[in-house]
Amino acid sequence: MVWAGLPASSWAFAIRIWLAIVLALYVSFWLELEAPSTAALTIAILALPTRGQVIEKAVFRIIATVVGITASIAIVGFCTQSGSLLLGAFAAWIGLCVYVVGLLDGNRAYAAALSGYTVALIAVQQIDNPQHIFESSMARGAAITIGILAITLVSDLLAAPDHHGQLAVKLNGLHRRVADYAGRAVSGEIMPATIAAGLLREIVALRPDIASLAAESSTGPTRSAAARSAMVGLVAELFAARALAALTASSPVREQITSLFEGDRGSARAALGVPHPGDRGNDWSDLMAASASWLTGELLRRDREVHKSLDALASGDRPPQAWRAPLFHSHRIAAEAGIRAAVYFLLAAGLLAIAGWPAAEVSLSFVGIIIGLGATTPDLRSFTTLALVAAPVASLMAGVLEFLVLDGVTEFPLLAIGLAPFMVGAALLISMQNPVLSGLGRLNLVFILALLAPSNPQTYNPETFLFSVLFLFLATGLLFAVQILIPPVSNDHRRRWLLRSARHDLSRLPCHDKADFTPEECMFRDAGRVSLVVAAGDDSPQHRAAIGEAMANFDQAAALRVCDAELRRLADNSIRAQVGSAYRALRERDATSMLTSAHALHQAGRPSQDRATLAASAALVLASVAFDSPPPDVAVFSRERKP
Amino acid sequence: MMHAFRELVIGGVLVAPIVRYVVATLVVIVVLRPALYFIGFSSLFSNPPVAELSLYLVIFGLLTLLL
Repeated sequence: MVWAGLPASSWAFAIRIWLAIVLALYVSFWLELEAPSTAALTIAILALPTRGQVIEKAVFRIIATVVGITASIAIVGFCTQSGSLLLGAFAAWIGLCVYVVGLLDGNRAYAAALSGYTVALIAVQQIDNPQHIFESSMARGAAITIGILAITLVSDLLAAPDHHGQLAVKLNGLHRRVADYAGRAVSGEIMPATIAAGLLREIVALRPDIASLAAESSTGPTRSAAARSAMVGLVAELFAARALAALTASSPVREQITSLFEGDRGSARAALGVPHPGDRGNDWSDLMAASASWLTGELLRRDREVHKSLDALASGDRPPQAWRAPLFHSHRIAAEAGIRAAVYFLLAAGLLAIAGWPAAEVSLSFVGIIIGLGATTPDLRSFTTLALVAAPVASLMAGVLEFLVLDGVTEFPLLAIGLAPFMVGAALLISMQNPVLSGLGRLNLVFILALLAPSNPQTYNPETFLFSVLFLFLATGLLFAVQILIPPVSNDHRRRWLLRSARHDLSRLPCHDKADFTPEECMFRDAGRVSLVVAAGDDSPQHRAAIGEAMANFDQAAALRVCDAELRRLADNSIRAQVGSAYRALRERDATSMLTSAHALHQAGRPSQDRATLAASAALVLASVAFDSPPPDVAVFSRERKP
Repeated sequence: MMHAFRELVIGGVLVAPIVRYVVATLVVIVVLRPALYFIGFSSLFSNPPVAELSLYLVIFGLLTLLL
């Protein structure tokens, strides 16, 4: 159902947000809390469309508030003798929190950001009255608790949708696209690296949403595990498809394998005409065909696993296997962002201190908030620009609301009615698909409530309002200027560091230490790095080349890990020499030696029909393809066609 | 009969009894979750979130009454 161009779900979401804000303000006024506007701002921050997301973010908001308050008290306690030392400590704390944001994702990253800007809200605003920090911390904690209770209650009673249904739709769609990719790649179609990298990015982007499923209900943890398994399985399936496409690129069995993706899988397997890993044969083409057969089986097995995980997600049952989804993070990128955040804060503090304006700490706390929230977005400068645009719009809205709509009223029902169009409008913007409009909506919701600062009784003081607007403009303008002076990390640098870390990780494989993660889980972590490379650029030739290299590294690392896992399964002493030479070939990255080792293992495994030995042989053939130059008509797997 | 509420004191800071009950209820709910999953709690109701919220309120009320 669509009304005024927006779906009913968006309207329901917007009305829930307005009701939650009204409820939070009413309870805060009734309890005579000192910071009722913080309760309303909590709703604005927790304005998310599904219950699981709201509850998870609320939990992290409480934890981060406690951490931030503790840090505020500790910093002020240690550094209260000197103002510059205090500002330096605040900047270092905000920098540290932004560094941690770079190592996390989703609501965990938000919690790290909030820990940072809680200091800006509490300690910086009380910089001239440090003895009041504890009282303002308690007031903030109480208001946040009321806000969380209000939005939880409203979400439950007004039947906010569960997230697992939407996630199942997204995962099913991605599953179809991965299957389609597999069919096209195996049939010989040239697939640019950007398509596979784009798919990996979309798959990895679901990670924070899947984590939030656990908070949704009593079946949440099992649904979260099922969705996570499906997500990791999709990455493994995509890799298997790329490997099979590369292996069969010049193989005579391509047409038979292609038939597997075009319909009747049972009869297609029978008609495949390639020997299974135990079939007799004594030449190299037999080895290649057996490897292709093994890899086809692997691809179909991955496909079945994803199907089962998706079924488990829908039914709320446990998935057949519980993969973890390790997150890739770059310490270098996180550290650079953290150092810059600290420098931005220090520069802004220095300029405000030189100006010597009274109450400039309000502006500095806005700077801290925008730095913290911007760190959780992919592009800090875009977020600051968005804040620069949102500030005048929100100021105008808040001014209209306070001095034209409300204009001195003291009755709560009139406040609730007056808030409605502004809150509903901003929440409708949040629910839009366009990221710029959605970001503008969220910033407007936050800024309008911050500038209005509902209290009991409302003062309606134009001077206070104008000062608040001035401080907001000053903060966004100052931060924008500082970011022009010292720009955030460029996309070129990001790509370079990411590719360097990929090469470094690849150089350490195969690793003989006890593996912390399975090959599938490592593939998912590497897919996270590919998604960061994709995010670090536009459509330039350099960017496409970087994506090609990232995908090549992804394929090679995955092939090495699969080989290592298969070779580890071989406990037979009689083939120890062959296993040793296989490891030597893998360490030397020598495709010919890998193929020779694969042949030796194939010969050793054939008489006894040992499946583990024959699977290891097939995996070595796969690795040899990954490290060998592919035929010129194949733009998949190890070395993509460079534009 | 008057119910005596004992205040929690952490480092000299008095914490309201209601905060203690809210936290204790949360702990009970987290511990109960696997059991709720095992008995298929969410499939027993047409609106499981409201049922879970009601359960939370019942436990909160019981703790407030009995402790």
